[in-house]
Amino acid sequence: MDSVPANPAVIADGLGMTFRAPVRPPGLRAALASVVYRRYRTIEAVRELTFELCPGEIAGFLGPNGAGKSTTMKLLTGILHPTVGRAEVLGRVPWRRERALLRRIALVRGGRPLGGPEELTVLDTFRFQRLLYEIPEPEFRRNLGELTDLLGLAELNGRQVRALSLGERMRAGLAVALLHRPRVLFLDEPTIGLDVAAAATVRAFLAAYAVQTSATVLLTSHHMPDVEALCRRVLLIDRGRLRYDGELARLSAALTPDQLVRVTPVGRDGQDWSRFGEVQQDGGAGAGSSVVLRVPRREVPRVVGELLARVPVAGLAVEEPPLDAVLARFHQRATP
Amino acid sequence: MSAVAFTRLLAAACWRESVTWWSLRSFLVTLIIGQSVAPLLGLLVWSSALPAARGVTSYYLALTAVQLLTVSFEHHTLSNTIYDGTFADRLVRPQPPLLEVVAANLAIRLWYGIFGLPAVVALAAAAGALPRASALAAAAGSLLLAMALRFCLTCAPALSAFWTERAHGAVSLMETLLFLLGGVAVPLALLPGAAGETARLLPFWSALGAPAEIASGEVAGLAVTRVLLIQAGWLLLLAGMLGLVWRRGIRRFAAVGG
Repeated sequence: MDSVPANPAVIADGLGMTFRAPVRPPGLRAALASVVYRRYRTIEAVRELTFELCPGEIAGFLGPNGAGKSTTMKLLTGILHPTVGRAEVLGRVPWRRERALLRRIALVRGGRPLGGPEELTVLDTFRFQRLLYEIPEPEFRRNLGELTDLLGLAELNGRQVRALSLGERMRAGLAVALLHRPRVLFLDEPTIGLDVAAAATVRAFLAAYAVQTSATVLLTSHHMPDVEALCRRVLLIDRGRLRYDGELARLSAALTPDQLVRVTPVGRDGQDWSRFGEVQQDGGAGAGSSVVLRVPRREVPRVVGELLARVPVAGLAVEEPPLDAVLARFHQRATP
Repeated sequence: MSAVAFTRLLAAACWRESVTWWSLRSFLVTLIIGQSVAPLLGLLVWSSALPAARGVTSYYLALTAVQLLTVSFEHHTLSNTIYDGTFADRLVRPQPPLLEVVAANLAIRLWYGIFGLPAVVALAAAAGALPRASALAAAAGSLLLAMALRFCLTCAPALSAFWTERAHGAVSLMETLLFLLGGVAVPLALLPGAAGETARLLPFWSALGAPAEIASGEVAGLAVTRVLLIQAGWLLLLAGMLGLVWRRGIRRFAAVGG
């Protein structure tokens, strides 16, 4: 029997957001003139953004600074009202800010993981969250117990928020945001500022949470290990426009015309590697050292054939360029 | 959200804010002294200028108490959150967006009362200017209305943070009007006829001087009812205006992101 596809948890349909920002030239005269005559420039933060997220899907939302990621997050959580287009989250229009929707979503910002009075303990914050989301006491205890175990919060619960390190705040902030078991989770740079160990803890927790609850997650991050660990699908946005929407594994192929050919020659006899492609890395003359060549994607079969024919080869592999490097090049090109 | 759930939420929010302000207790004391200076200065000036005038001491001491119990800092607790972006977090939660603002207002007044009122009562006892119990009872309703009025009078200009970077200036202007026309700079009873009567019809006196005049016995009997009606009228009007400004501000925030 065919399964009926579930309604999308998140729909963005032609979303656009335009701001008007005041501008004036420098100097006193311009400052005085701006009192009577103000000039503005129009900023299109998001343009014709269209995508859907299925229930339980985890998607990475990538793009350079100022690309429109946070604005999109704000549109989908109801903080901003779009200039054009339509959005739905769990079947409701986010900017109507209906209580029934707000009780089923959460927005976690890495820069501000845990709001509220800093004098209170973490447990006080959990208890206020329980009142806010009207979580029944048995469910509260169960969820808190699970989150405490998953995030190692046992020793943090009795401490004041102001005494927590950034990593501890992030763990506590995640637990507070997830206490009501949101169906859709918007994560804005959840590992920003965290050290490697803390970031790994947060990533592992998010992966476990998504599997356990089938929550839909939209994640923005400049930290590629986050995206690689959590997302099969990524959306790449640049200057407000969606540039790529597809599998993470195919992102490199979509963004770069080149592949990397890693060759480990049997001996180093002064080969001129540049005739096969752009030398990205040369491991030197030691035994087992390899050379990495950047080769246009369509020429890879020919170059591999030539290498095998002309060079005594101990090992050869064709690889996609590292995602970090691909995105860095994309961001450089995207920066106005 | 049911009324019971909302009340519990507001109580919890007040408790959270109270704990925060308790941690700032030494700062609170300096704030209380700062708030008390203007009415106490008025007391010194007018009791020196008019030593024979009846009720100046009791009026100004009552005014000091009202000042402490109606104090409002929405330019800090609301405007600053709009400026630093934390206000947006409140829009993503299933709560009234002004919950923390109202809770902070009530928490601050609670601590002002706890720290400041004993000193005011002690001064009044020392000066033999303690109000009569009947006058205090009559002033209770007026005080509650003044608390709500002062919140509206401060919150409305604080909401100008949605449009400008000068919300603190707008609130300062309101504070100046409260000082001049609310009965601090000069008791309205000392103003010549028409000026005094006109000032009594303005919201500034309703938000500050009215309960003090009732508590000190300057206004009594049927006149109290008239004052209460004026205060209630202003409260209706200002609450309506506040709602209007709020809706327009939220619309602008949603359009430009603060």
